[in-house]
Amino acid sequence: MRVELTVNGERREADAWAGESLLYVLRERLGLPGSKNACEQGECGSCSVLLDGRLVCACLVLAAQADGHELVTVEGLGEEAGLHPVQEAFAETGAVQCGFCTPGFVVATADLLARNPRPSDDEIREALSGNLCRCTGYAKIFDAVRLAAGS
Amino acid sequence: MELLRPESAEAASAALGNGSVALAGGTELVPLLRDGIVRAEKLVELRDVVPRGFDGTRIGAGTTLAELEVDPQIPQALREACSLAASPQLRSMSTLGGNLLQATRCWYWRLNFPCYLHGGDVCHAKAGQHREHAIFGSDRCASAHPSDPAAALLALGARLHTTARELPLSELYRLPTDDNRDVTALEPGELILELDVPQPEASVYLKAMERRKWSFALVGVAAARFADGVRLALAGVAPVPWALSSPDALEQATPLPGTAYKVDIARALIRRAVEAVGAPRSA
Repeated sequence: MRVELTVNGERREADAWAGESLLYVLRERLGLPGSKNACEQGECGSCSVLLDGRLVCACLVLAAQADGHELVTVEGLGEEAGLHPVQEAFAETGAVQCGFCTPGFVVATADLLARNPRPSDDEIREALSGNLCRCTGYAKIFDAVRLAAGS
Repeated sequence: MELLRPESAEAASAALGNGSVALAGGTELVPLLRDGIVRAEKLVELRDVVPRGFDGTRIGAGTTLAELEVDPQIPQALREACSLAASPQLRSMSTLGGNLLQATRCWYWRLNFPCYLHGGDVCHAKAGQHREHAIFGSDRCASAHPSDPAAALLALGARLHTTARELPLSELYRLPTDDNRDVTALEPGELILELDVPQPEASVYLKAMERRKWSFALVGVAAARFADGVRLALAGVAPVPWALSSPDALEQATPLPGTAYKVDIARALIRRAVEAVGAPRSA
């Protein structure tokens, strides 16, 4: 089936089979590999994207469900001119170890700060609870979120 | 596989069965399809045909957990059950109707063992690993029902409106039997459309987990106080959401060796939940 998506402000079309995930379409059909494919069970958050402004796991959404809707992926956060403030903060604090979870954390953090510019530590924990870092680099990730919230 | 987008709930109902499976938020169905636990020739997308949103005590079954967890109109027990379920990413997509119908997390079932629930002769969990499993109703199958909102809605006395009938939530669920391994009483093609959720005087949902976020309930306890008394219901303790007639009814539990600890957790959470909702005003 043909799916039409608005991805990072741009109209895109792709052919997908009915059971194909949004994550697969983004990575393999639209050339946007920033969203990572890890657990494929919705447990790790590495594939987090915004669907109509709501944070979702792209591995659990079928492309067909996103047909006609708006998406923001990690590729859509920064600009040619420079990184998104959340990306700056992750780089500045060294909140990256192997880096595989980072795009998901960056998207989830950008979503949190857009809704709540000054989150408490508990609010950060809640907002990022669907994102796992298997290197367990959470202390630096917290530093990055606090830094981005202050910038 | 083919995707159908029916224009009415009746058309969706008619399209189901014979290899056609209903798709709502997808957070449960997509991994089950991927793992081959559910097989489908056609997916029937419900987004445009199942009501979403709420009005007074009426809640559309297509409402997401994320929408329910933040609205002050929604009774506290249901709000708390939604906010303690899954992760923010999953709650964005998962619908209340789909949540009520989700399958057990039993890993024997999820790994497609030929277990009782899959139509086999034995419950592998009973002789094997069953720390997350049942303390009630485990005669045939020791799985634990994972829905937090179901326990809250059971305590609140919710009623369901389906494409075929109206029924109390308690009648949605059934323990699997030799001639029928389903844990719900929905007929083929029957869809949950809306719920009536009475407003209690007070309600609460408490949940014990392995970790404090994004974990299924070891034990969840919902309590709702109405003029005629306090109603209790539990998640994670039986193959179906489990109503308790009184706090003392917990002592009728029949845990497995590996789940006896859940009785102690349930006892403590029930005491706290009953204290939290207080005594009925008329008492």
